[in-house]
Amino acid sequence: MKKGFVILFLFAISFAVMAQKNVKKDHAKSDLNCKTCHSCEVPTKDQPCLIPCPREKMKTVYESPEQTVDVVSLETLSKKYFPVIFSHRVHAQMSVMSGGCGTCHHYNTDGPIQPCKNCHQTKRNRDDISKPDLEAAYHRQCITCHREWSHNTNCVSCHSLKTDAKGYQKDEAKKKASGKVHPALIEPTKIVFETKYSKGQMVTFFHDDHTKKFKIECTTCHKNETCLKCHDVNKLADDQLKIIKANKSLDEHHKKCFSCHKDDKCVTCHLTKPAEQFDHGKKTGWALNKFHVKLSCEKCHGAKIPYTKLVSKCNNCHGAWNNENFKHTITGLQLNETHAQLNCEDCHAENNFAVKPGCGNCHENYSFPKQKPGKLVGSKK
Amino acid sequence: MSGKSRRDFLKTSVVIGAGVAGLSTSTTKAAPKNILSEDRMGVLVDTTVCVGCRNCEWACKEAHELPAGDLQSYEDKSVFKQKRRPGIEALTVVNEYSSGKNSNLPVDVKVQCMHCDHPACVSACIVGAFSKQENGSVIWDTDKCIGCRYCMAACPFQVPAFEYNKAINPLIMKCDFCFNRTAEGKLPACVSICPVEALTYGPRTELVKIGRERIKRNPDKYVDHIFGEHEVGGTSWMYLSSKNFAELEFPKLGTNPAPGVSESIQHGIFAYFVPPVSLYALLGGIMWIAKHRKELDQEEKS
Repeated sequence: MKKGFVILFLFAISFAVMAQKNVKKDHAKSDLNCKTCHSCEVPTKDQPCLIPCPREKMKTVYESPEQTVDVVSLETLSKKYFPVIFSHRVHAQMSVMSGGCGTCHHYNTDGPIQPCKNCHQTKRNRDDISKPDLEAAYHRQCITCHREWSHNTNCVSCHSLKTDAKGYQKDEAKKKASGKVHPALIEPTKIVFETKYSKGQMVTFFHDDHTKKFKIECTTCHKNETCLKCHDVNKLADDQLKIIKANKSLDEHHKKCFSCHKDDKCVTCHLTKPAEQFDHGKKTGWALNKFHVKLSCEKCHGAKIPYTKLVSKCNNCHGAWNNENFKHTITGLQLNETHAQLNCEDCHAENNFAVKPGCGNCHENYSFPKQKPGKLVGSKK
Repeated sequence: MSGKSRRDFLKTSVVIGAGVAGLSTSTTKAAPKNILSEDRMGVLVDTTVCVGCRNCEWACKEAHELPAGDLQSYEDKSVFKQKRRPGIEALTVVNEYSSGKNSNLPVDVKVQCMHCDHPACVSACIVGAFSKQENGSVIWDTDKCIGCRYCMAACPFQVPAFEYNKAINPLIMKCDFCFNRTAEGKLPACVSICPVEALTYGPRTELVKIGRERIKRNPDKYVDHIFGEHEVGGTSWMYLSSKNFAELEFPKLGTNPAPGVSESIQHGIFAYFVPPVSLYALLGGIMWIAKHRKELDQEEKS
C-alpha cells in the first residue's frame, strides 16, 4: 500500500517536472531509481534536489594536466588506513595518451569537476546498487591500472595502515607527493613489425623520424593506450631494435599509418627485411650537409605531402644569394682576401656545391680540405 | 502371522503399495520450508571487475571461524597456478584464467555455492537437512546431516565438501550465503570486503536488471549472457564475464532445474519395488545356475 502511494506521488511529481525543460514527460515511469538523480526523499518542482550526476550535457573539454590540481588527499573513507595521497597531476599527464580526463572523471556534467562522492554512496549496504559504492569507485579507478603493471593487488602500495605508520603526517606526505611531474618519455627510435603479408613481412617504423622530423604529436597515434604500454615492472629496458608480432586486425594496424600513407603502395612499407633509416643522400642523390640536416622537411619541401623533388640549386631556396652578397663565413670558412674576390664557380665547378671544391683552376697539387682558402671559424658547426 | 488374519495382511499390503505409488509419482515439490520468495536476494559477480585480491577468501574464513591467517598472506599470487575448488578449509576460492587477446589482465573468478533456486542438494538430501530459505540462501541443518554425501553427488556445481579428515561426526561444508550475518542485516562477508565491489548484493530481480544494463552499455566488454539467470532453473549467485563461460570452467548446464534429473532417476529406480524384485530375481537366477551346474558335475562323476 505504502509503495502504491509513493508511486502515485512520483507520478504527480513527474507531471510537475514535465513543465521543466530537458526532462522527459514520463521519466518517473522509467527504470531509473529516483535516487540516481534526486538526493532527497520527496523531490518537488521547487526543490528538485538534483544531484549533479549523469546528465545530457557532459564535460568535453578539460584543463591541461599541468593546469590541474597537483595532489589530492582522499580521506572520506579513511578508517583503517591513512588518507591516500594521490599525485593527481602526474596521473593526469599519463592519461593524455590513454583515455584522457574522462577515464576517471566519467559522466562529469558540464561545469566543475564533481567529486566521486557526489554520485557514489559511502555505504555498501544501500538501496541503489546500480552503481558501485565510493570505496569500489576509487578502487576500480586505481587497482585496474596498478595491477596491470605491478602484477599485484597489495593495499600498502597506496595505503599506509594506521596501525603501523609511525609519525605519519598528512601534510608531510602531501608535500612529498607535490610538485611531481612526469619525467620525459623515452621514445623508441625504430620498431620492426613482423606481419603476415607474404610479399613483405617486415614493416620498419622509424618512431623518432615521425615525432621529430614530421612533428607528429604523441596523441595523434597514442590515444587509448593501456598503462602497460609504458609501465611494467617486468619490462626490460627499452632496446633499440624491437620486433613486434603484428596481431591486431588489418584495419587497426593500417588506420594509424593510412592517415598519411594512404596513397603508398604496400611494398613501400612492407619489406622482406628491416629497413634502413631514410638517408637523404642515398635516396635523392643530394646528401644533406651539416646545415641542411638540421632543418625540418617542410622548411624546404613545404607542408604538402608527399614531398616533391626540388631543384638542387642554392638559388632555388636562397634566391637572394649571388656572387656579391654571399657571406662565405656562414659556411664556417672565412675566405682570405685573395679568395674572397673570386667567383663561386672558380672553386665550385659548375656551381655544384654538393661536391668537393677544387683548387686546380689556379693551384697545382692543392686540394681541399688539406689546403684551405682561408681560416675556419667556429661560429657555425 | 499368528495374530493377523489374511484380511489384515492384504489391507497393509494395499496401504504400503499406495504409499510407494504416491512417492514415485510425486513431482519435484520441495519440502514446505523450501521457499522461493519473489524478494530473494542474490549476488551478481562481475568477473570483469574482480582484481583477484582474494580478500573474499579471507573474509569468508573469518566469518565462518575457519583458520584464516593473515590477510596480507592472500596477496600471494602463486595459488593461481592451479585451479582450486571450494572445500572444507575454504568455502570460496578465486581462480585465475588467462585473458583473451584483447586484454593484458587475467580473468578472476570467485567460486562458491550458487544457491540454486531449485537446489539439487535439497532434493537429494535423504534426511531433509537442506533447505532453500526465503532470503535465497541454500542452507543445511548440521544436526540432521548424517554425512551420506548425496548432496555432493547431486550438486551440478560440485560444491558441497565433506570433512573426510574427521573420524567422528564428519559433516558437509559449503557456503551458507552468510545466513547469520544477513539475518542481522549485515552483508555477506565476501561482498562486504570486496575492494572493487565485484560482488553486488541485492534482490535477484534487480541484479538481473543491473546485469542486463551493464551488458547493454558495454556490449564489447561482456558476453551477452548472465550465467545463473536461467542455468538449472536459475541461481541466486550470477556471473558476468568478458569471456565465454565454458573457458572459465563454468559447467555447461541446461535451463531445467537439476532436481528434475536426480529425482526422476532416484524415484524411477525405486518405483514399484523394482530394485528388490530385480535383485531377488538375479540372486534366484544365480542360485538356479549354480544348482544346475552342481547336478551336472555329479552326473559326470557318477
